[in-house]
Amino acid sequence: MRRTIRATALLGVAALALAACSSGSGTDTASSAAPTASASPTSTEPVTLTMSWWGDQEAPGAQKWLTAAITAYQAAHPNITIKETLQTTDGLIPNFEAAAAAKTPLDIQYFWGGIYAQQPGWNGNITPISDLLPADEIAHYTNAQMEDSYQGKVWVAPWYVNPSFPVLVNKDLLAKNGLTVPANWADFLKTCDTLSAKGITTIAGGVKDGWFGGWLYSILGAQSVSSQKQVLDAVVGNAKFTDPALADWWTRLQESQQHKCWNNDINSQELYQAQQLFVDGKAAMTVTAGPDAPNFATKAGGPSKIEVIAMPAWSDGPLAGKIASSSQTLGVVSWSQHKAEAAAFLMFLHSADQLQAWYDMTGSLPADDRFDLTQVTDPIKKALFSYGTDNVPYLENFIPAQLDSDAVFKNVQLVLKGTETGAQAAADMQAQMERLRTTDRNMVSNFTNWASSQ
Amino acid sequence: MTEVTTRTGRGNPPSAGRGRSQRGMWHAALWIGPAMVVMLFVFAYALVQLFTQSFKYQGEWTGWDNFRIVLTDPLFHTALAHNCELLLCVPVLIALALMLAIVLAETIKGHTWFRGVLFFPYILPVTVVGVVLGQLLTLNGAFNTALRDVGLNVLAQDWLGDPAIALWTMGGVIVWKEVGFGVVLFLARILSLPAETYEAASLDGAGFWRKHWSITLPQMTGVIAFYAVTEAIVMVSWVFNYVYIMTNGQGGPGDSTVVTELYIYRMAFADHSIELAAAAAVVLFALTLVLVVAFFRLQRKSLLAVVGE
Amino acid sequence: MAKISSTAGNVGSFGRYVILVLFSISALIPGYIMLTGALKTQEEFLSSPWSLPPHPTMTAFSTAISAGLPGWFVNTLVITAGSVAGVMVLAALAGWGFAYWRFRGRETLLGLIVSLMVVPPVVLLIPLFQFGAQLGWISTFRILIIIYVGLMLPFSIYLLANFFSAIPNSLLEAAQIDGASTVTIFRRIVLPLSGPPIATLVVVNILWAWNELLLALVFLQDPEKHTLMVGVASFRGRYSLDVPTVMAGMTLVTVPLVIAYLFGQRYFIQGLTAGGVKGE
Repeated sequence: MRRTIRATALLGVAALALAACSSGSGTDTASSAAPTASASPTSTEPVTLTMSWWGDQEAPGAQKWLTAAITAYQAAHPNITIKETLQTTDGLIPNFEAAAAAKTPLDIQYFWGGIYAQQPGWNGNITPISDLLPADEIAHYTNAQMEDSYQGKVWVAPWYVNPSFPVLVNKDLLAKNGLTVPANWADFLKTCDTLSAKGITTIAGGVKDGWFGGWLYSILGAQSVSSQKQVLDAVVGNAKFTDPALADWWTRLQESQQHKCWNNDINSQELYQAQQLFVDGKAAMTVTAGPDAPNFATKAGGPSKIEVIAMPAWSDGPLAGKIASSSQTLGVVSWSQHKAEAAAFLMFLHSADQLQAWYDMTGSLPADDRFDLTQVTDPIKKALFSYGTDNVPYLENFIPAQLDSDAVFKNVQLVLKGTETGAQAAADMQAQMERLRTTDRNMVSNFTNWASSQ
Repeated sequence: MTEVTTRTGRGNPPSAGRGRSQRGMWHAALWIGPAMVVMLFVFAYALVQLFTQSFKYQGEWTGWDNFRIVLTDPLFHTALAHNCELLLCVPVLIALALMLAIVLAETIKGHTWFRGVLFFPYILPVTVVGVVLGQLLTLNGAFNTALRDVGLNVLAQDWLGDPAIALWTMGGVIVWKEVGFGVVLFLARILSLPAETYEAASLDGAGFWRKHWSITLPQMTGVIAFYAVTEAIVMVSWVFNYVYIMTNGQGGPGDSTVVTELYIYRMAFADHSIELAAAAAVVLFALTLVLVVAFFRLQRKSLLAVVGE
Repeated sequence: MAKISSTAGNVGSFGRYVILVLFSISALIPGYIMLTGALKTQEEFLSSPWSLPPHPTMTAFSTAISAGLPGWFVNTLVITAGSVAGVMVLAALAGWGFAYWRFRGRETLLGLIVSLMVVPPVVLLIPLFQFGAQLGWISTFRILIIIYVGLMLPFSIYLLANFFSAIPNSLLEAAQIDGASTVTIFRRIVLPLSGPPIATLVVVNILWAWNELLLALVFLQDPEKHTLMVGVASFRGRYSLDVPTVMAGMTLVTVPLVIAYLFGQRYFIQGLTAGGVKGE
């Protein structure tokens, strides 16, 4: 035994010596690099911009658009090269966190709106776009103020609008079973009863990868709150997630499970896989990403068969019966070596040609009020776009990302499986929030500051 | 007899004297040094850094704060509990591997082929196993379809979507992959046992069960112990890949498949709480030290026998 | 090698074969699904996953390949070759150091090294990642190779130390008397005799490095540096609606291993059981 101790001690001393020689004790996670514009946008030094993004998954055509935009920009600015990488849904955030920790070369990063841009900002990983672009330019960007602003700054530049989230209804399938498009929640449950008795799936969803849970939280949970401030209050501790206005939606979710509304394999399917059931005509309804809804509608049979509605209303709150609006964004990372060039490129993406090209190639709404809406004649798109510009908050963007994955995703899975009641889910969400306030020690102050800028 | 060689006066050139061991150390250091440098870096340096970081928050010393938070975190308890539940799969592994090894040892025709096939899952990448089996085990996937086709509907569960069984499904996949290792391990041991003992026992009228209970098993304690400890190490330290692939990194459904490795990974890379991840990692490492000691003890016996003292 | 003669008669023999066949089938099922799935279309797979592909098509394979497989393959080759070469050299040197010289604390040190196999890689991940970040070595092959070498060393040293110790004294003493230096002894006598364990170790280490996911996932952020494992792990998300392509990717990633396995089955099995059988 003595020998073991001695040998271990020897190793330990050697290791300490080695460690003492290494510089520093890990990366500074809190400091944000002071933004220094390395070169003015008109300099002719060769510059490579690195861009990490997401979005072709929910707005098909985005990749084509981006490639074309990059080609155009590079042609106009021969000294600038832009490298872009499309991330997977599961990999977007972890890869960004790793890049932030390692300060790997990166200039432009994609962020989902709201909290998904706020948190990296609080962590010091974003240089506010309001530091780099003029205020009157940013004023045109849809939802910048509502979702991405903090203490007078705007973190990121909205890119495209995500009407969150439309419900697609197969009118034909309903009609074949003697039903019409449900007008409210009670109607919806009756539809579930009728269809499930015949072994037909009323609404298709997949929660294995978690994300759909966040969608459900917003389209059901928003209906009983008066504004996003109520949610921010609960995060900070001035209200509770077990308060009826914030908790009742869990019971609605439970009802949907009890009335057998969902496909029976909802817990073993991923989000995009389950939506296929709707396209294949095996489900009467589904929920899709806003930009993708017109494509889904077309694939499933076109506007004659398919109708786009908001989630059936179960309450008469101010946000019920509406589709929320959220913008997905692009931002400049705080350790970028070419912030001015990056911002210039982002502004280029909001030029009239690019906005038009976005609509042409993806059929979805660019996040800029200068886009000419009158050209949109397709009824589904018109409906979606009108929702997209009415500033209804998308609730998932106003809770901490950890709460989303630790409480919402998880409890939605359990409620839909039937192993948990709505009340238990709400209680767990509150418990998780209390836990998060201890594990994330800056959360309360950040959210308090954010709430005060709302 | 078995292949343990006896070592006497090893490593001492003919003119060995007491002074030899001093010079021996210096020489040995030259040979072992390069490997030590790499291992010191990868293990010792990393562990020291980990320890230091677990006592800090954003660069400042915070004492036991991080540990307090992690140790009172219900999710951490859940993660540890799940690792313990996976440990329950080890006896299953041992039993299955033993059974297959014994059966295989008694089989002459096709012996090599069967051994090759049974070992095959062990060489497959966990990634591939996770993806393919994950696809098979969805509620309406191939596995359940087959069960339903033969009328065994009641067995067609939501293997990965039901929080009550998801972890056991994961354990089942791990067992499926790891049993091959035990089979060849035990098989090699069994085949090295002298045939005469068995023949004598058969002449005495001992049947299948009697033979293996009285002859085989007692001779296998060492290798069973080795396998048990090795697989216990797997269940605690090497299951991240399975969970990450088969649950999209969520540890779902609910929290039912969160294991300690996943907890650490998410704390660091998804929750941006690198100090808490470090504290959790320190706790995990401390717990695995138990297994380290067990492994060390097991190996020391054989090392002493072979390296010679 | 003593095989227990089957004295149990035909009934027992039948039972044995039933068990073996059942378990063999279960061992091969995923491979079967993977291979047949890769040759089907999405609809064919979803409607009848168990059948043989009705109209075998290579579309899935070409999609998988165009997703980046060749690049990933090259990266995996580089990393595997580099790390296996590194560990073999270092382990051989260290193994000889342990086997040839007696010094105080030798078996303790060796035991300690071997016990390092227990450390969960995720524990090392964070500090090593931060260190790599400080050096700017994230997304380089060298940091991953160094870490792989470190992780593979304990078992490799253990195996080689074991084997080298078993080389008969007489051979070594004869060489010493002839005035050979330690290096010469190592090169001329020990290494040539060590063919089998070295081959075994090479095979085992290649397997380990090839299949490693977590460290590669975290350290290779740059998509151009991705290994096969990292690439196909992202496959699942990217092609979640196209199962045949996922299956094709899985198949392509597994094929080199299967080929190696068919040729080197003996070495695999020998190498992995060496640590345990001697534990008696």
